[in-house]
Amino acid sequence: MTIAPDMVRHLSGAAVSVELETPDMTLNIGPQHPSTHGVLRLVAKVDGERAFDVQPVIGYMHRGYEKLAEVRNYPQITALINRIDWVSGYANEIPFMVAAERLMGVEPPDRAQFIRLILTEMARISSHLIFQASYPLELGAATPLFFALRDRERVLDLIESVTGGRFHPNFNRIGGVKPAVGAGPVTRKTIQDLPAGFLSETRDAMDRVLSTADQLEDLVAGNEIVLARTKDIGVIPPEVAISYGVSGPILRASGVPFDLRKVSDYLPYHLFDFEIPTGENGDCWDRWWIRLEEIRQSASIIRQAVDTIPSGPLQAKVPRIIKVPAGEIYVRAENPKGEMGYYVVSDGGLGPYRLKIRSASFSNISILPWVLEGTLVPDIIAILGSLDFVLGDVDR
Amino acid sequence: MAGAEGPGEGNSLVDRAAEAVGGVVLEALETAKVGVAADRWAEALQTARDDLGLSFFSWLSAVHWANDPQVGDSLSEEVTERFELLCAVSDVTAGELVVFSTDLEAADATVDSLIEVYPGADWHERECREMFGITFVGHPRPENLYLPNGFVGNPLLKSFPLLSREVKPWPGEVDVEDMPEVMGGS
Repeated sequence: MTIAPDMVRHLSGAAVSVELETPDMTLNIGPQHPSTHGVLRLVAKVDGERAFDVQPVIGYMHRGYEKLAEVRNYPQITALINRIDWVSGYANEIPFMVAAERLMGVEPPDRAQFIRLILTEMARISSHLIFQASYPLELGAATPLFFALRDRERVLDLIESVTGGRFHPNFNRIGGVKPAVGAGPVTRKTIQDLPAGFLSETRDAMDRVLSTADQLEDLVAGNEIVLARTKDIGVIPPEVAISYGVSGPILRASGVPFDLRKVSDYLPYHLFDFEIPTGENGDCWDRWWIRLEEIRQSASIIRQAVDTIPSGPLQAKVPRIIKVPAGEIYVRAENPKGEMGYYVVSDGGLGPYRLKIRSASFSNISILPWVLEGTLVPDIIAILGSLDFVLGDVDR
Repeated sequence: MAGAEGPGEGNSLVDRAAEAVGGVVLEALETAKVGVAADRWAEALQTARDDLGLSFFSWLSAVHWANDPQVGDSLSEEVTERFELLCAVSDVTAGELVVFSTDLEAADATVDSLIEVYPGADWHERECREMFGITFVGHPRPENLYLPNGFVGNPLLKSFPLLSREVKPWPGEVDVEDMPEVMGGS
């Protein structure tokens, strides 16, 4: 079909004389949405393609752990706190255990500390692999998921071989770790240790994790669509992140080289060489890259720990009935998602008088109204995914 | 291993913090804890941020000190019923963390909001408000964060019963067999 000359003239001469009215619309995202990793609802005002005044609505997963902890004794509480951030359940236990142990003046034996450290880093790898699986998927790339989940399964198998649980190990004991599940009959204490072949299988798995990290980098970092959707999107400047209490990989992506593994001593991280990767722009891309790099660093830590793990007992001497002397302590740890800490107030009883749970995701997503102000609607998903939160960790 | 974060021997972080904000050093294991007066709460945290470099907002919460609790064990000593408001702030270089504390009267628990000093205090104060009934003056959005609108009561008060325990007492209190006094070791 040809266009008649006077039709062209007509089109070029046309002017939009009416200002289009775009009244604000309220957009609900969630509570059930694949990108929210649980049940999170966002209420956004939308003007055209831009979102304003985004208010997260949380609390759908609130289980009241701080209240429940007041009617439980210390050994029972580990079963609760496993479930705060279920993607890295093992890592949640550590700061609470350390807090109770320090109040009691108990120090776990070196071997137990190494086992804790190895399993914590495995939890970090499995958490970051979940992110490496889900984040490209949210941006429309399905392939990385298969690579990332395959290796996460290997890591979870290793955690399971020691603890008996994939998600909720409940493996720590005050003063040490539980005798390993695959290590023989419980009546023969001498052989209740890491299951046979665990160390060599771990070395093997770490090699695979490292090669998968390279594959993931090839798959995602060379993808122009991913780059376009993440570079300079959702930029969080360091001073804003700090004032909101944003921690972990998100803080480091904003260029702040702060990692509690380097400055705190809740586990013997000072024995190992590892680097703290930091980003430059604090955008979605940096947050993706940091978590990939942290997988490599964790694999390196695990290799070093497996090579140098000392022999010895798994459990310090503790009374049969755990009573924690009166006192207060705050112990925090670098969890996969950021600073996880417990403020324990003990009155000398069987359970804490008050347990404040500081979880990483709660503070991390409290920045959402700030970071989503004025963003394009499709970028909301890219930014949400890059914050890598778990609603159990938000709501507790 | 001694605490690297806390005010161990020779570490004067807690003293410096107490001096800067005009507060007192409180006892907490391996944790720097400073008590300030309630009317100087926001001012003290402002000083902590600006002069002590504690710019990272870690958390804010409270402890309800009360006798005869509905849940959990009673305190070993009688206390005056009050709230202890706690706020932990840290730096992001050496990881020095200070927990600031102030006492609020149980009958009239009102304190200035920290939202102007630390924007991150927003959700923490909302949580604290609904869980304890503490009023944060100057908070722009004093709405429930977790609880449904219209919920009656403040769940983290010691006087607030835990429904599941009211219905069925904890079944795990009785040990089925005598256990050795000391576990572990060789």
